[in-house]
Amino acid sequence: MNITVTGADWLAVAPLSIVAVAALVVLLGDLAAPKNVDRYLAIGIAIVGLAVAAVDCATGYGHDYAAFGAAFIVGGFSVVFQEIILVCAAGSIILYGATGTTERVPGAIALMLWSTCGAMLMAGAGNLMTIFLGLELLSLALYCLCGLADRSTSRESALKYLILSSTASAFMLYGMALLFGASGSVALADLVAPGLASNPLLWMGAGLFLIGIVFKLSLVPFHTWSPDVYEGAPLPVTAFMSVATKAATLAVFARFIYAALPAGVESALLLPVWIVAAISMIAGNVGMLAQRDLKRLIAYSGIAQAGYILVALAGETPLGLRYAIYYIAAYTFMNLGAFAVAALLSNDGEQGSTLTNYRGLGFRRPIVAGLMTFFLLAMAGLPPTAGFLGKILILSTSVNAGFTWLGAVLIVGTAISLYAYAKVIGAMYAHDPQHTRDVRPLAPLAWISAIACFVLLLVMTFYPLTPSNVLPLVR
Amino acid sequence: MLALLIILVPIAVGLVMLAVKSENVTTSKATGAIVAAATFAGALLMQSGGAEISIRWLSRPFTSALHFGATGLSIWLVLLLSICTFSAILAVNVPRAGAFIGHLLILEGTMLGLFLAKDLLVFALFWDLMLLPVFFTLIGWGRHHATAWRYFIYNFAGGLTLLLATAAFGVLYGSTDVIGRSDVHVIGSWVPWIFAGFAFAFLVKTPVWPLHTWMPLTYADTPPPMVAVVSAVQSKAGLYGFIAIGLAFMPDYLRDAALLLIVLGAISLLYGAFTALVQTDAKRVVAYSSLSHLGLIVIAIASFNVIALQGALIYMIAHGLFSAALFLILGYVESREETRSLTRLGGLGAQNPRLAGALCIAALAALGLPGLAGFAGEIVILTGVFQAGWMWSVIVALVAIVLASAYMLRLYQGIMNGPQVADLPVRPDLSWLEGIAVAPLVAALLLVGVNPHALTTFAQGFIR
Repeated sequence: MNITVTGADWLAVAPLSIVAVAALVVLLGDLAAPKNVDRYLAIGIAIVGLAVAAVDCATGYGHDYAAFGAAFIVGGFSVVFQEIILVCAAGSIILYGATGTTERVPGAIALMLWSTCGAMLMAGAGNLMTIFLGLELLSLALYCLCGLADRSTSRESALKYLILSSTASAFMLYGMALLFGASGSVALADLVAPGLASNPLLWMGAGLFLIGIVFKLSLVPFHTWSPDVYEGAPLPVTAFMSVATKAATLAVFARFIYAALPAGVESALLLPVWIVAAISMIAGNVGMLAQRDLKRLIAYSGIAQAGYILVALAGETPLGLRYAIYYIAAYTFMNLGAFAVAALLSNDGEQGSTLTNYRGLGFRRPIVAGLMTFFLLAMAGLPPTAGFLGKILILSTSVNAGFTWLGAVLIVGTAISLYAYAKVIGAMYAHDPQHTRDVRPLAPLAWISAIACFVLLLVMTFYPLTPSNVLPLVR
Repeated sequence: MLALLIILVPIAVGLVMLAVKSENVTTSKATGAIVAAATFAGALLMQSGGAEISIRWLSRPFTSALHFGATGLSIWLVLLLSICTFSAILAVNVPRAGAFIGHLLILEGTMLGLFLAKDLLVFALFWDLMLLPVFFTLIGWGRHHATAWRYFIYNFAGGLTLLLATAAFGVLYGSTDVIGRSDVHVIGSWVPWIFAGFAFAFLVKTPVWPLHTWMPLTYADTPPPMVAVVSAVQSKAGLYGFIAIGLAFMPDYLRDAALLLIVLGAISLLYGAFTALVQTDAKRVVAYSSLSHLGLIVIAIASFNVIALQGALIYMIAHGLFSAALFLILGYVESREETRSLTRLGGLGAQNPRLAGALCIAALAALGLPGLAGFAGEIVILTGVFQAGWMWSVIVALVAIVLASAYMLRLYQGIMNGPQVADLPVRPDLSWLEGIAVAPLVAALLLVGVNPHALTTFAQGFIR
């Protein structure tokens, strides 16, 4: 197959290129900047780069285009996911301004930007090769980022992530090889050929591919890596991993199940995935009950939240996809907000994540505690947050698509999760007169991030923006 | 617009008071009382109709609007809520009064939102929201954190089934903007499940045996001004839901469940009455008496009779008024004597005639003295239930009403009568502010007692 590359193809990947170049500029700026301002310079460059990329990316909305022979596809779907990933990168990078880690911040930011490129590539990937390329770019940078802190837990986290994530990639790659064997092409578009529905290679290939996806989403039974990895990684990296990786993987998953399966295989092929989602909603929320560390809590919460998002996708309805995207956006803001609060409380990147430090916070720092309460309520799906509206949208789409049993499991899972979230909230407001108001140096960047997340979650509740025209394309 | 204002103003003022955390009791009480009085005035204005507001919220997968306005049913609960909040704020006697009054105002605003909501989704939103101030109060002022968990998890579990049922209702009917409309009937094989989802939430909230186990603990542990509002008004949210949602949109399914509801109501009625008879904690006596009284209202709603339904509203208002008064007065007793155990207390009446008088009126209203609102409610309910043919439940109710006299008199005598207990501290009698706090409740009890007719007009729309 001959592919003619035109200028339009290069324009399609312009947002990615901007992010990648911004990373280089960050490294160059690091050479020039004096020691004590280098990280603020790096954060500034990164945010500007991400903002420019976001604006450029937004212009692609409504202009469907399959670049490089449908290897990379621009359209409503990929634009929305890329915007979410860009926001998530910005929200994570900004946290470097608040945490105490002083070393290698510009390098870490550059790595995170390249990781963002990988995630964006996954969101737009139109063939199996691009999916894998994006996945590896995302993961390779993350392995380094996890190990960047000088702590043994950090190194453990990096090694664990490397080994387990590579295992997942191996599953996925083997699945891709079988899919290629079945269709004779790496293009997702060629998988929909009706003759493939009865080909055992497709079933095996798709099954292995989905196992890889489930692994990356850290759903039960492949979830055990995420709490350990999240706990050991530096705070901004955990924030990035908890959202960007999930968003990118969900984009691949949604494109695969909406557009790249031959007719008639969905219900049987995907049933195990929905069962896995149901188990994850219960197991993730149960796992959360015993946690004493915010990062681990959010890891388990993320397991359950990924399950909620899959509920929206069950039945592959167009409306379900829109609500899944709404919930992913809400999930992005609630997680980024919680991590911003944790960063506000951190001195050395470590303290803010231990839950005992939240005891009496409502009396020491009422506004910070109020924000944290709001984000935890959002995770629990209580009003007046976007988490509440997201839940009701997911519930209604599950009823609509005939997956009411998943909706019922979601309800049970949420009821369990409430105890875990309310425990943290309760600890913050339990009257404890020995704590006095404490005064710490202001971390303006984390403040901005936390307040922005708060406002967005509140606004999203009453102005539910669910973009139409987001069905994934494969050609 | 007015409807939205009287919801948002208390919440906004409450949040400000939480942020300011004023220790100045007088200013806090004055601010809170002015806001509560303003919502009362606003509610009176809304009674004449109008003042609705509707803002589009969702258009897919079902239409939904931020739609607020009063109906002939909800307006009474709104009035009850603003009176009880006003009284509770004046009666606040806990440390960190500013923040506490902030929570009370937020509770008022969220419950106003619940009663004024004309959209099921908004109803579900405020259903969850109104749990938060009580939860935070229990965390901050309660004795045992376990109580806060129990309250929150029981009620939020109800809130979740409510949410699922609301989603299913919306998908089935295409719109949730339905409360107060009489032309909405949902039919389908799913509707029994939808009804079950709503009913579970309502039964937990009311509460009804065997879902009541969160209630005595919560009532005993929450400071009196908050529990007065919770017991008086929040417990009515479930009953309001049964009428405004169950009876209005799914009457056939409510009729199918009528026997179950009446049996549960009758068990609550007797179980609550007998348990109240042997409690030694004064607040628990009132808590279990609430279980008993609310069981009677569940029977009234489930009996599908216009007269019983009229009685249900009268008794809802009456129970709200006298249980708020009882809890506030028990709060006065507890703050004076530092105990509320009936085995410790005794003989306070001789030193505190005004306190004794106030408790006497409230207890008499609770046991159904003719002329006060409780009697009007009981007699109308019993007439209606009898007319509907549920003879045995009328007999059960009569037994419980006799028991009510026993436990209310036991409560009164245990605290006020008998020889004075030597080691109890002697404190001044009811102050004028404490008196003013319960006065509106007593006045309303009398007013409803002699003229319950005003509350009966709403019922025709619901029973056809």
